[in-house]
Amino acid sequence: MIRKSLQRGCVVAVSLSLLNLGTPVVATAGIIDTQTAIEASRRDADLATIRAGLDRAEVRQQFTALGVDPGLVDTRLAALTDVEIAQLADRMDELPAGGDLLAVIGVVFIVLLVLELVGVIDIFKKT
Amino acid sequence: MLSATTQPVVELVDTPFFPQRDFQCGPAALATVLVASGVNVTADELVGRVYLPGRKGSLQAELQAASRSFDRLPYPLPPNLPALLSEIAAQHPVLVLQNLGFESMPMWHYAVVVGFDAGSDRLILRSGTEQRAQMSARKFMASWERAGHWAIVVLEPQSLPASAERSRYLEAAAGLEAAHRYDAAARAYGAALQRWPDDTTALLGIGNVNYARGDLGNAESVYRTVLDIDPGHVIARNNLAQTLLDQGNPHAALAEITAARAALSDARLAPLLAHTEDAIRQALRSQERPPP
Repeated sequence: MIRKSLQRGCVVAVSLSLLNLGTPVVATAGIIDTQTAIEASRRDADLATIRAGLDRAEVRQQFTALGVDPGLVDTRLAALTDVEIAQLADRMDELPAGGDLLAVIGVVFIVLLVLELVGVIDIFKKT
Repeated sequence: MLSATTQPVVELVDTPFFPQRDFQCGPAALATVLVASGVNVTADELVGRVYLPGRKGSLQAELQAASRSFDRLPYPLPPNLPALLSEIAAQHPVLVLQNLGFESMPMWHYAVVVGFDAGSDRLILRSGTEQRAQMSARKFMASWERAGHWAIVVLEPQSLPASAERSRYLEAAAGLEAAHRYDAAARAYGAALQRWPDDTTALLGIGNVNYARGDLGNAESVYRTVLDIDPGHVIARNNLAQTLLDQGNPHAALAEITAARAALSDARLAPLLAHTEDAIRQALRSQERPPP
């Protein structure tokens, strides 16, 4: 009997903690955080905190679609501020994603080589 | 271009090097600055934290976010070369975004500037698979400018960047608070107060960190300090009201939120204050209700 209720308690606790994983923010009721205070001091800015819930859902969806390990999506979301989340939700496709130079091949390579020789750009490493 | 620096040659030779693999200059560059700041991590361990497979790259925001996860403060530098050089001179390697292509066909790349030589007008970088890449200041500036002059240092939160500007620094500190890294945020706010005593934003931050840790007594007293300095600080008053409510004093809380709403001139904050007031009025109603 005791064992069964213990088990049940465990199940509830685990379920709750799993639920909690999905919603890492909004722990602090009516407190306005410092970032919002800084945003509010700029006249032109919308307050990211107002739309944070929807934006996080949007970024979560995009992260998943872009191949982020499902086990790490929440960790990555939790480390982003509301302001950053708003920015990603609006234009993740356009923001720079620093990667590598290997993506460039073929004709593009030759064009770049010419530009390099002319000195317009600098992508080929010299020692 | 580098001739204006106070020191002719600086190179942070102890900065580690993580040669990048595939498209992963983000994890490599981030590991470089994290390890330099005393974190024990490798580039491979950061791939899952900052790499976006669908974009074959890493976003600037995520490099900053991952730094916070290690209790480090990512500080975006003022967008100019003197600020960058001042950090190198202060022994802080600088993570930069470069556009090695051009405007219409960008090739985004992260690297870490670890030194400069004013004599030969070159910068020294940990970049891609090169441990000691040298780049002329002119070419570096062109690639950096095409990437919006974006650069960060990643520091222990109690140490101020050499190029610290008040509002930039406080925003970075607030990022730690937003990411729930409260101890690190408290250290960053503390450093800000040493440099800029009585800064109400840093004080508000300390109050918020106290509140988040459940230290309501200290939260209350810090919010009151903010209000002593600036009685019209409606955000501190809202937060004081919430704290008083949590301390079981809804009547005092109501007085504060009423004062805050009366003083409010920024409509964007109205829904947040209304939310606090709702919670207070609800508490008052349930107090009035006779026990079942």
